[in-house]
Amino acid sequence: MHDVTVLQAILVGLWAGIAGIDQFNGLTHIHRPIVTGAVIGIILGEPTVGIITGGTLELVWAGMVPLAGAQPPNVVIGGVIGTLFAILSGLKPEVAVGVAVPFSVAVQAIITLLFTALAPLMHTMDVAAVNGDTKKMDRMAWIEPVILFIGFFIMAFLPAIFGQGVVTAAVKAIPVWILGGFQAAGGMMPAVGFAMLLKIMWKIEYAPFFVAGFIAAAYGKLPILAIALLAASVAAYDFFINRNQTPTTPAPAASADADEEEDYSNGI
Amino acid sequence: MASNEATIKEVDNLQIPDTYEDPSVNKVIDKSTLHKMVWRSLLLQSSFNYERMQGGGWTYSLIPGLKKIHTNKKDLGFALFDHMQFFNTHPFLVTFVQGVIIAMEENKENRSTIRGIKVALMGPLGGIGDALFWLTLLPITGGIGVSLSQQGNIFGPILFLLLFNAVHFGLLFWLMNYGYNTGTRAIASMRENTQKISRAATIIGLAVVGGLTATYINFSLNGTNGSFAIGKMKIDLQAGIIDKIMPALLPLAYTFFCYWMLKKGRSPLTLIGITLLIGLIGSFFGLFAWPAAIK
Repeated sequence: MHDVTVLQAILVGLWAGIAGIDQFNGLTHIHRPIVTGAVIGIILGEPTVGIITGGTLELVWAGMVPLAGAQPPNVVIGGVIGTLFAILSGLKPEVAVGVAVPFSVAVQAIITLLFTALAPLMHTMDVAAVNGDTKKMDRMAWIEPVILFIGFFIMAFLPAIFGQGVVTAAVKAIPVWILGGFQAAGGMMPAVGFAMLLKIMWKIEYAPFFVAGFIAAAYGKLPILAIALLAASVAAYDFFINRNQTPTTPAPAASADADEEEDYSNGI
Repeated sequence: MASNEATIKEVDNLQIPDTYEDPSVNKVIDKSTLHKMVWRSLLLQSSFNYERMQGGGWTYSLIPGLKKIHTNKKDLGFALFDHMQFFNTHPFLVTFVQGVIIAMEENKENRSTIRGIKVALMGPLGGIGDALFWLTLLPITGGIGVSLSQQGNIFGPILFLLLFNAVHFGLLFWLMNYGYNTGTRAIASMRENTQKISRAATIIGLAVVGGLTATYINFSLNGTNGSFAIGKMKIDLQAGIIDKIMPALLPLAYTFFCYWMLKKGRSPLTLIGITLLIGLIGSFFGLFAWPAAIK
């Protein structure tokens, strides 16, 4: 058994903070367990154990990557806590994974909450944008990274200094329905963003293309690239028809529109 | 706007004009501006949230270019505001979109054309990027690193970082230049058809938004109380009823509910509040799934 000094716990926290920023900004991937394991090992004076544990944890998280914006169990805390407990309690890397995963799931829930809670920030940034206040926008860009740094510092520092039992108890004290509620709200939130986009882009004559894109994805399970390429073919067709018909006047081609929409839905 | 400084409420109902107060086209983007934008693209997700995703970081990354292009303050404001909308793509491919878009901005293309092209590019590149980087580059470089790490060799992590970032930064810079040159060339060949190009871009853009609506929004009643029983028959609300009517029905309905509320003049902030409320209430009654491992 090792004991963690306050200095070591602070260093672990600092590294977690830096890695927490890198997970979303920079993406140099110093936040992956393979690197984090080595760094935590060096901080605790057990570099070899750290490197080996980091390697094992890296394999565990190999498949857990952010696909289409969905967030897997948090890889930063997984790497830091996993290595920490592997060194402190002499657990085998494979067992340390079991300890690390619940923490990472909890941290991921907290991050979901953060990404939900920070949506209103966008509306302050909107105002700065319209005013052309780029200095303010530059400053605002750092709000979230700073929060991430502080958050990850705390979430790594506490387990390092108090050990696993206290922290697990604290995590369990949060009612699970609240976490579930934030998770559900986070999942629904892009609808607000799309609605704002539609408010700008929507015209009733374009509605069929939205519908076609939706159907292609919902029923056809087509990837977005396929949908974009299909839409590009229709758009190109539309473009050439319009160009050949009326080179100068703005499109009176209501009938041409109807034709090509028909064509598109048949194509799917 | 009455005063010079807009408020949140005014901004919500702002119409973005399609053309510019100052339509003069000047070649102002140089290599160093492009490179500044590459470095800023590292903060693409700095304002990440579920409403706009990378919208804030995307705008942040364009600032050096937009400031040089739009010396008219009103034009700059509308350009920045336009880019603040929903944006999401792969962080390793974003510089290509930046390059194309900044070439179009420099040429003072109509705002609707720029918007359409942006939306049309971001979705597909997101999907390609996931496959290329998270499912290919990361496992390969990680695997090489791990094989050394498992012997306790410190060169495991170092080699991983070197290999990974050689590809990462190489791509970021190359794609920026490639995107900018592509954008410039494409614009030259489509000059006389602006109106129609704008139309084509909107068609692609809206089809992509339709597809994203079906795939990016998670809204399903798959919690513990998401099913009920009639006699011996157990009926699943999500899989048994809603999905049978139409897949992604709830995401579609909720998107149009939000659209309708916005049209009625409700602010997006109200909608965020409503979304949170629905999430919490629904979760309390067990309609939404709860995170598993911390029960």
